[in-house]
Amino acid sequence: MKKVGLGIIGLGYIGKLHLRHVLKMPSVDFVAASDLSEKALNEAKNSGITNTFTNYEDLLRESEIDAVIVALPTHLHLQCAVQAAEAGKHIFLEKPIARNPEEAREIVAIAQRNSVKLMMGYHLRFNHSFRELKTRMERGELGEVEVAYATFVSSGPFFHRGGHTPVRVPEWWFNKELTGGGALIDVGSHVINLLRWYFGEVIDIKACFGHRFNLDFEDSAICFSKFESGTSAVITAGYFSQGFKLEVEFFGTVDHAFAQHRPGNRLIAAAQMLTTGRSNFYQAHFDELKYFVNCLTNDLSPSPSGQDGLKDIEAISLAYKNELHFDER
Amino acid sequence: MSLVSFVKIKNNSLKTAILEALSLIDYEFRKDVKKIVIKPNMCYYWDYSTGQTTDPKFTGALIEVLRDNFSPDVSISIVESDASAMKCKYAFKFLGYEKLAQNYNVNLVNLSEDKCDDVEVTVGEQLFRLMVPWTIRDADLRISIPKIKYTFEQIKLTCALKNIFGCNPYPKKFKYHSRIEEVIVALNKVMKFNLCLVDGNIVSGAKPRRIGLVMSSRDPVATDVAAAKIAGINPNSIRYLSLAAREGVGNTKFIHRGIPLDYFKAIYPRKDFQKIMMGKAYGLILKMGLSSRLGLS
Repeated sequence: MKKVGLGIIGLGYIGKLHLRHVLKMPSVDFVAASDLSEKALNEAKNSGITNTFTNYEDLLRESEIDAVIVALPTHLHLQCAVQAAEAGKHIFLEKPIARNPEEAREIVAIAQRNSVKLMMGYHLRFNHSFRELKTRMERGELGEVEVAYATFVSSGPFFHRGGHTPVRVPEWWFNKELTGGGALIDVGSHVINLLRWYFGEVIDIKACFGHRFNLDFEDSAICFSKFESGTSAVITAGYFSQGFKLEVEFFGTVDHAFAQHRPGNRLIAAAQMLTTGRSNFYQAHFDELKYFVNCLTNDLSPSPSGQDGLKDIEAISLAYKNELHFDER
Repeated sequence: MSLVSFVKIKNNSLKTAILEALSLIDYEFRKDVKKIVIKPNMCYYWDYSTGQTTDPKFTGALIEVLRDNFSPDVSISIVESDASAMKCKYAFKFLGYEKLAQNYNVNLVNLSEDKCDDVEVTVGEQLFRLMVPWTIRDADLRISIPKIKYTFEQIKLTCALKNIFGCNPYPKKFKYHSRIEEVIVALNKVMKFNLCLVDGNIVSGAKPRRIGLVMSSRDPVATDVAAAKIAGINPNSIRYLSLAAREGVGNTKFIHRGIPLDYFKAIYPRKDFQKIMMGKAYGLILKMGLSSRLGLS
């Protein structure tokens, strides 16, 4: 079996997760990592990575690397994707693809020009519960889905993310110029991508935004959207809560159905992490990378593609443009 | 002995409750007060509804009380400092204090950016070199408006004394954690707050709960002893309270005024044992070096 070399660019929360997962993949025979943080690189070294770089440009020069996993802050996606594509590396790019459609188009174009594969990191498409729902829909069990609700509300980057000690929030999370937006682009992009998978392209979308935390960007969004299939969907995205909810509910002409992604029992997750290096909660993340590696070894076009990422950011951009305002009298 | 008052908020009127709490401790509004410092509890970026941070509405009601009773022109500064995982400039914005400052025309001061005096202070045999921000040094009246919170096992409770830990301008506060009890007392010795008003409207435990408490005292030690009793913690088990009393910061005995303490104790939410166990497990994982394998590093 053909094996591949992978480079992970960015060892933040999601980059570290990807690193742990690629180390468990028999089809991956070379792994490198880059990050500005020496501490993060030392942790990578402790997990067995010998090829570490403080500058990702050095990583891109490694001939044994076939593809890179880009897990950088959103404002760095374009620059990194351009350099990776020009270095002939296939790209797995964490969502959102970019801060705006213009940057996204450049990313898609540069990947095409250099004939490199570009896959977007949307793990929900690999989640068992959401996949099963798609199967049921495609079998016609629900009839025509007239109305859908999709919700992703969590703490986002501003609260506890692991353990019980407050985690320092990197400065870029507070800067709209760097993130491209708030909860809608961050967590909302997941559900918009998911709904596009179920119902086709977004025909129209309007949104109202909440600013509980007085930041320059929204910490909650409610979108009213219409899809190619004719389905109307209400999308709720937020990172104002210490609770976690990620679910979709579909109302069809025949039946209704529901799917969700739940954190599950922490002790079981810990036991799974210790014994197998991955947990049920992160199984979809593992499966999406495994699929990407399979696309590399078998020369397949991955999905969700860069084009998907572009369509998502176009819908998000339209939602920002079509903001609805409440009368606050 | 110090006076501690306990008031139940009625009809959501924070201002009335604050005035009643102050009246019960015979508080007098001196007319020579020109500069006031208010220290709320801002912990990370947690919304006040979690019970972890002082409600800006409580702070706003206090500002109205101060302006009504001292002078409309009294200068008021709300203070906080950067911490290991919290930047003041974002906390002010995030927690609603930037908006409050605009609405009430008060100053927001990041003590980590303030000018400071270097001072030496002893607690027992230990000598500490600490910084006292000028905003606090120069105030005529210093008011602490803490929350009552369970915290890590070493100190058990966060309330009035621990709130002053946030007046330490040095941002990397975790460096003090090995001697945190002594440091809390040392900070309270060099930055004496004249008045404590506890925002006990929403308090945290296993779940946040609205208990509608306002507590007031001139004595931070007495305040904390009362807070510990309400939270169901034996005050004698909290070492820094007796240490603070020995160092002259306040009294562990107090005269109760207002609603019976047991009323609030009965409705105060208990500790989140699942969280405690998870915390212990997390500590154990770190000790055993398993954090990276569990994705917790």
